[in-house]
Amino acid sequence: MQEDVRLFVTGVGLVTALASSREASWNALLRGERGIRPIDLFDTSGQRGRIGAQVQDVTVRDAPHVATAAWSRSSVMAFIAAREALAHAKLDTKKVRVGLVIGGTTGGMFENEARLAELHRNPRNEEALVELLSHPLTAACDCVTQAVGPFVRTRTLSTACSSGANALIVAAAWLRAGLCDAVVAGGSDGLCRLTLSGFNALAAIDPEPCKPFDKSRHGLNLGEGAGFVVLERAPQVRARNVEPIAELAGWALGSEAHHITNPEPSGATPARVMQAALARANMTPADIDYVNAHGTATPLNDPMESAALMTALGKEIARIPVSSSKGQIGHTLAAAGAIEAGICALVIQRQKIVPTVGLVDPDPACALNHVVGEGRAARVRAVLSNSFGFGGMDSALIFKEANLDDPPIFVDENRRVVVTGAAALTPSGLRGTEQIKELLADAPNNHDITLDFAAHLDAMRARRLDRPARIGAIVVERALAEAGGDRIEKTGAVFSSAYGALDASAAYLHRLYEKGPRLASPADFPNLVPSSPVGHVTIYLGLGGPALATADLETSGESACTQAIELIQAGEADVVVAGGIEEASAIVERRLATIYRRLSETEKETAEIPRARAEGAAVVVFEAENVAKARGSRVLAEVTACLAWREDNLHPLSTITAPKNISEARVVMPRSEDESLIALLDASLWKDVSRVACDGAGGEHEALGAIAIGAALSEIFAGSIKEALIVGLAKGRGYALRLESRC
Amino acid sequence: MSLEPQTNLKTETAHALKELIVRELKLDGKDPASIDDEASLFGEGLGLDSLDALQLAMSIEEQFGVRIPEGDEARPIFRCVATLAAHIDSSRAEAAKVTAGA
Repeated sequence: MQEDVRLFVTGVGLVTALASSREASWNALLRGERGIRPIDLFDTSGQRGRIGAQVQDVTVRDAPHVATAAWSRSSVMAFIAAREALAHAKLDTKKVRVGLVIGGTTGGMFENEARLAELHRNPRNEEALVELLSHPLTAACDCVTQAVGPFVRTRTLSTACSSGANALIVAAAWLRAGLCDAVVAGGSDGLCRLTLSGFNALAAIDPEPCKPFDKSRHGLNLGEGAGFVVLERAPQVRARNVEPIAELAGWALGSEAHHITNPEPSGATPARVMQAALARANMTPADIDYVNAHGTATPLNDPMESAALMTALGKEIARIPVSSSKGQIGHTLAAAGAIEAGICALVIQRQKIVPTVGLVDPDPACALNHVVGEGRAARVRAVLSNSFGFGGMDSALIFKEANLDDPPIFVDENRRVVVTGAAALTPSGLRGTEQIKELLADAPNNHDITLDFAAHLDAMRARRLDRPARIGAIVVERALAEAGGDRIEKTGAVFSSAYGALDASAAYLHRLYEKGPRLASPADFPNLVPSSPVGHVTIYLGLGGPALATADLETSGESACTQAIELIQAGEADVVVAGGIEEASAIVERRLATIYRRLSETEKETAEIPRARAEGAAVVVFEAENVAKARGSRVLAEVTACLAWREDNLHPLSTITAPKNISEARVVMPRSEDESLIALLDASLWKDVSRVACDGAGGEHEALGAIAIGAALSEIFAGSIKEALIVGLAKGRGYALRLESRC
Repeated sequence: MSLEPQTNLKTETAHALKELIVRELKLDGKDPASIDDEASLFGEGLGLDSLDALQLAMSIEEQFGVRIPEGDEARPIFRCVATLAAHIDSSRAEAAKVTAGA
């Protein structure tokens, strides 16, 4: 039976500099209070701007378990806001299938900055560094799962300052596809020296409290916090008899492909994204009664956003009140889109709009209907919320009044997803679809990629691309060429990296501690954002579709491919090139990998790295079947199953039916000696199918899952098999993908 | 003080500046000597942008110990290598005078 897929917000949780709870934050927002004051979380001497919206009463000691080693302030704030959202929704994660999506950028940076700087100075440091477990972006997801789970499906994503909004868009995709019954989605980000010095280096920080849309604005103030919302489909909201707060009616995302830090001045992409969100909501500008702007107060953002609002909403913009919450709670980076989504849901529920604090004399280039001073009562049928991230990753969300009795919305069957190409770049070279299967050989693998990047890239245009972005640009260009035809309009991209730019962050921090904040590098800083490689590649190759970064420990490659498939199934993109890019990293190889390899507690202290970790990258081109057919693509295979699960699922492969012909099927495993994976396969209907692994010639790194998918496709392309099952596991999570030949 | 050493100083600063530009802005393959002293750094000329300007200001401060003012004041200084070199030299001469006078 078809189900009504209207999505309702049933819970909101907020941690802001105004207060560590939803109601107190909301009341302070309405009163026009500011949470911006001198930052005392760390030494800010020498920084141009030293104020920010610091959360006052949260420390890692507020973590819910005794062992706090793996908790960061980012994770604690995520936990507090997610718990509040779940409680608000009266939702028991043990009773229904709940998913968790978290956007982040800094993870446990604050807790690890001095340690990383020291590791840069002395990479041979052999101290037990279990505290580093709080650093990866995935830590928040695992901490929140441990504290308020179980969750049936989790995702860690980053698109810089639009991460929080994109978490809701991923949640919408999961709910519409029926993957979960409810999703708690949001973002969390803690203040740290790295971001404060980086935004100061970019001259983006106002040393005084910021003034969004004001003539004399001088930049943003950083903030920190977390925001989560619980989203559910209409039938469950009705069945659980809870009061919905608002309906998430529209959303859209896209990328500018313009510049790594500066927005496109015309605002053309943000305007296109807002219009797409309106179309998704089946609304016109006349239906919108309030806009919660991105409104960072930087010289470039505010006029760009004003122009984009005028383009997207036309003459209606004169009527619609607009405000930015950033004058009160600062720019909370990955949390911003989610906190503002929570605020928008409350605006709808309470029929009150919140102000832009700090705005005194509006810039004529920002001629909007500003809400100044305090909040006020207003008739609000629907609201639009904008979020824009570094690298030009733009998102818009639309919420409207919750009315369960409105007409239902049904989705057509999920779009079928096909694969049209792949490419891999490893120390043994660059390979296209036909050659990736060579990485299934049991051959030795070197440590570094030695390809001559200069021969593959335009030097001037690629000058800002760091090593992962260069690897990404080369491998994506090859894969898209493999996928045939002219470059497809608005191609999306999803890249994973398990630990992000860890070594580059350590180098940046070492310099920061040694030379002081005035000499922090504005050019290096943007490359430390987890979504920087994918951002650079969208700019270098001119890709305008959705762009995201994901991370999921050793299954990071699988998470990126799964994310791409979900975006296509949900109709957010027609073509997405996705996979993992892992650069060589002294810190990952010497420290992190040792503690992550699913080792027992006792082993943690003594274990050596089981296998040397190498560089490696692979991407796969996924397309909506109808689009691939329409453009006459060479369809190689269809994705006939795409599963993601958490450890509580004891039989994750139970829905995978038997292969049609055992002799024409193959299981492709990222890693060969994985006992839990072998046990899982032995209990499945694929138990008698031959198994191959790609950790020989493919090396050992967190993009192996993407190499495995590429290798399976390569075997199908060669005609040696008709179908393949790719299964990857890491601590507490797993993924499975089934490909069937369409050659 | 004759004019000649000043000219040499200016040439020396300009030369060091060009090497800094190529290194810091990662203009791989570009010969520093090929950068014209008078060619505009932004837009048409070398094709640099505001992020490059920030990186240049930071690395000039690191290498030459000279601060570039922020905002509109920076505009004429950033026009070309010659204007940047003149700013560096005059700031250093000013600083030397202050030190000598102290």
